[in-house]
Amino acid sequence: MSELHQESLRDGSRDWVLFKRLVVYLKPYQTLVLLAVFFLFCVSILSLSGPFLTKIAIDDYIAVSDLEGLNKIALIYLVVLGVAFVCQFIQTYLMQYIGQKVMYDLRTETFAHMHRMSFKFFDRNPIGKLITRVVNDVEVLNEMLTSGLILVFSDLFILVGIFSMMFYLEWRMALVVCLVFPLLYLATWAYRIRARDALRKNRAHITRLNSFLEENLSGMSTVHLFNKEKGHEDKFRNINKDKVNEDLRSVYYNAIYLPSIDIFSALGMALVIWYGGGKFVQDQIQLGVLVAFLQYLQKFFEPIRDLAEKFNIIQTAIASAERTFELLDTPEDIADSHSSQTVKKVRGEIEFSNVWFSYKKDEDVLKDISFSLLEGESLAVVGATGAGKSSLVNALCRFYEISRGDILLDGISINKINKHDLRRQISLVQQDVFLFSGSILDNIRLGNSHLEVDQIKSIARSVNLHRFVDCLPDQYEQNIRERGSLLSLGQKQLLSFARALAVNPRILVLDEATSSIDTETELQVQNGIKELIRGRTSIIIAHRLSTLKNVDKILVLKEGRMAEYGTQKELLQKKGIYWKLYNLQAVNDVKL
Amino acid sequence: MILEKIKPYLPYMRKYRREMTIGIVALLFADLAGLSIPWLLKMVVDELPNNPSDSDLLGFGGVLFAVATVQALSRFGWRQYLFGPSRKVEFDISNHLFSHFLSLDKSWFQKQKIGDLMSRATNDLRAVRDFVGLGLLILVDCAVIIVSCVGLMLWINPSLTLVVLIPLPALSFLFLKYLPEIGRRHEIVQKHLSKITSHVQENLSGIRVIHAFVQEETEKKKFDELNREYIHKNLSVTRLFGIFTPSLTLTVGVAAMIFLWVGGEAVIAKEMSLGSFVAFNGYLLMLSWPMMGIGYVVNLTQKGQAAMGRIQEIFLARPGIVDDKKTVNSIDEFRGDIEFRDLCFAYPETDKSSLKNIQLKIPSGQILAVVGVIGSGKSTLAQLIPRLYEVNEDTLFIGGHSIRRIPLSVLRKNIGYVDQEPYLFSATLRENIIFGRDEASNDVVDDVVKKSGLLADLNRFPNGLETIIGERGVSLSGGQIQRVALARSLLLSPKILVLDDAFSSLDAETEDNILKNIREFTSGITTVMVSHRLTAVRKADRIILINDGQIVEDGTHDELLHLNGKYAQTYKNQALAMEMEITLQ
Repeated sequence: MSELHQESLRDGSRDWVLFKRLVVYLKPYQTLVLLAVFFLFCVSILSLSGPFLTKIAIDDYIAVSDLEGLNKIALIYLVVLGVAFVCQFIQTYLMQYIGQKVMYDLRTETFAHMHRMSFKFFDRNPIGKLITRVVNDVEVLNEMLTSGLILVFSDLFILVGIFSMMFYLEWRMALVVCLVFPLLYLATWAYRIRARDALRKNRAHITRLNSFLEENLSGMSTVHLFNKEKGHEDKFRNINKDKVNEDLRSVYYNAIYLPSIDIFSALGMALVIWYGGGKFVQDQIQLGVLVAFLQYLQKFFEPIRDLAEKFNIIQTAIASAERTFELLDTPEDIADSHSSQTVKKVRGEIEFSNVWFSYKKDEDVLKDISFSLLEGESLAVVGATGAGKSSLVNALCRFYEISRGDILLDGISINKINKHDLRRQISLVQQDVFLFSGSILDNIRLGNSHLEVDQIKSIARSVNLHRFVDCLPDQYEQNIRERGSLLSLGQKQLLSFARALAVNPRILVLDEATSSIDTETELQVQNGIKELIRGRTSIIIAHRLSTLKNVDKILVLKEGRMAEYGTQKELLQKKGIYWKLYNLQAVNDVKL
Repeated sequence: MILEKIKPYLPYMRKYRREMTIGIVALLFADLAGLSIPWLLKMVVDELPNNPSDSDLLGFGGVLFAVATVQALSRFGWRQYLFGPSRKVEFDISNHLFSHFLSLDKSWFQKQKIGDLMSRATNDLRAVRDFVGLGLLILVDCAVIIVSCVGLMLWINPSLTLVVLIPLPALSFLFLKYLPEIGRRHEIVQKHLSKITSHVQENLSGIRVIHAFVQEETEKKKFDELNREYIHKNLSVTRLFGIFTPSLTLTVGVAAMIFLWVGGEAVIAKEMSLGSFVAFNGYLLMLSWPMMGIGYVVNLTQKGQAAMGRIQEIFLARPGIVDDKKTVNSIDEFRGDIEFRDLCFAYPETDKSSLKNIQLKIPSGQILAVVGVIGSGKSTLAQLIPRLYEVNEDTLFIGGHSIRRIPLSVLRKNIGYVDQEPYLFSATLRENIIFGRDEASNDVVDDVVKKSGLLADLNRFPNGLETIIGERGVSLSGGQIQRVALARSLLLSPKILVLDDAFSSLDAETEDNILKNIREFTSGITTVMVSHRLTAVRKADRIILINDGQIVEDGTHDELLHLNGKYAQTYKNQALAMEMEITLQ
């Protein structure tokens, strides 16, 4: 039990830290929050005035048959109601407004922070989990701020208000009521630790369930092809079962705790009737006081019950807050340092100097790579699968951090260049082409909204995309549904060429982009590429001899190491791998 | 209108009717106990002037306490038996929804956004749960309290009651005017949240492109706009709701005011006892909860109704490809021959044919290569064989059976289909490989690993086959993913193997080795391989070249070379590249 208590204390302090951190988000809306609280205060006070006015009516007017006084009270009551109505509206609106604003702040912050993460982070975190963070968790926090936090204030007001009122009316009776409090405290304490545990576990299961769901929705064809419908249905059901069990546990705790408050409330009333009734008999208190007291007592336990109901919301919110902050606290592993330089325009000189790179510790995929490219020079990187070609690109774009050595752009270490500026200089055609929902035009243009449709068209023509697009019903306005399901892999690839061209970069990187295009299309693309790399520093990773035709330098990678590197001439003198490649070309009569 | 939307959900509730009945009965008891408390207080107040003894007062206190205990027990009852089932209903619906997802076909999923589906299965479902549990509870509770409070008030003083209830007609105005509008706006909010979810989902899926093209700011701006709109839409609900709820409170307040005024006069005129006045006041105050409750119920109902509609849209989507009347259940295996009989095919909701008059017989055990340019229809042809899309009746025959007659599970158990972009699950490598056959022995797994050319890669993973690969296999290279997918299909020991450009990310030598393995392994197994790499297909028994949805060249490698058509041209270009790869190894 003491361990449980320790645990509860620790949780308590952690909750408090999270809570304080959440409150910080209210700060920009300080004035509004104060206003909301003020109006809430008014609403609470006004809602308490009902029984008080009734008491005055009974004791001061009805008991002494003062009709005029009664009329006056009724009028006051009406005014109170009108004011309460206005206050309640303002307060509701303000609260929602603040909640929405805070949610907006949190959501955009989380979203922005997500974009600051490196690929390593996305390799580790399932998409479903991240969606839950940005959408659902933030939604829960909003609920907590609007229907939780601020209403807690109102409950506390009411509680304090009623309590003071009871003391004011008859302090001895109020003290008698206090006898119930220790019981209430014990019950609350016992409830809190259990409920928190159930809620936490519940949230963990929900995350698991969502990940599983997302994965299945994305890979549904695979599930079908392997007849896994039954198996996955069972798996889903099992995770869901875990979740619902925790759900039911919280329901059960609530079902026990909340009615127990009613018992305490009744106990309090019974005490008041017995004690206060006696006092009345002894002519020590007025009847109106007793009636008002009983009414207040009934209202007194409402906020407590309410607070317990909100405990659920707050706990869920705390759990959500914990996870949201965890995401926000994930350090940017590829951060721009203070000394980061803003680079607007580069010449495009690239130098790799003794670069070592690994995705996982002690598993180097690039070993001691050094080469340099002058402005406008092009380099072909060749090597077998897994030789480290793609890693070279990942390192250059700073998608991942290298472990040793340095990469220089125009003589400046890329670690010292603002990473966005760095990437803006580089156009990358990747292996997988991701298409966004929207039109073909949007997908080529991406953020470069200054490009005219005609410009886009001529770009598309240069990579032979135009003839496909021309056949579509809406041509460039054609909506490619999510993930571009309606385009073939090759068409997507052509589109990604166009996309890279639209940026008009100083540096161009083609990462195995030609591998899944049929030869006929590739021939057409080759011509486009020739145009594209003219005047641009280019790194091309290719499987085709024809690609080598147009480049200045060649790098042969073997198991992460440089097997050969140099100009065509140098490599031919070496009579190594490239020489063999060259002979292949000669035999097959390909012009170099 | 509301009823129509709720109707499909009634069976879920019916399943728990026992529990829910207990819950509702408990609720009635709780309300009854709650109602008797003002009555008891009335008795106390009326009794007080008669100088009751100490024990009488203790008795009153005791009775009050006893009533409260009943109330507490009943409250436990309804919480447990109304909220419990609502969770279970949510559980059932989400299981059902998931099963339904599993039954829907590829063409349906292509039209959907995963983010939107996720939002429906999570956010909307929660709204339904709240409606079923909380909504129903409050509805019953409010109805009971309103009816009995008004009843008791009528009993205490009928004329006073009628006067007091004068403001009530204002309510119907509120309900008629505001409710439909609030509902409409709620639906807009929910739809918008779904849009936000989709945006996040798409951003996460395309994060690599976004970062490579430094599109973070553009995406943030779009997201920002979406969220601003969301605030706006939420507040438009608040504006109405902000009036609605206080109006309900106001109505009760005005009633209380009238009561104080008229009732007070009645007491002064000795037409009513003070105890009755107190009790009447108690019941009137009790009415303020249902008034707020109704506002709450309205909120829940609107949300729930919108959500139900959105979930129902999914349930209404009919699975296109399922076993039906035409299915001959006695077919439990088939030969490996395939025949396309004058097959034409257009993707659902398009009018352009992707395949035209395909006439093709593939005898059992043949290795057929399908080549052609992008968009020629070769991949479409491959996808029809495992029935990912539906074909016209009697145009595609597998093992002599029309494909629509073969039970789906039998068909797919015997066809291995490897995709261009295979989907792996976040589990261990082994779990991914034994995906279609959980019971596969280690020897069998080792065997397919070897055949798929994964052995060397395996040694590079820290835990070998037990290595957990990330979501969609992100920690693997494209080539590794494709080979895992191949192993996964080979493990099925299929009658027919369809390789839909399955080795696009592999270098030529690895591909050649794998193909050699398959050729040995697949003796007797019909293989249809779609490929861009002609060097890889030359050893196939037969090669067809598809152009614009039609077969234009058909023959062995030598025959096609001899023909000196499109195939021969392309082949010559590619042979060179092949040799280059070999040199690099």
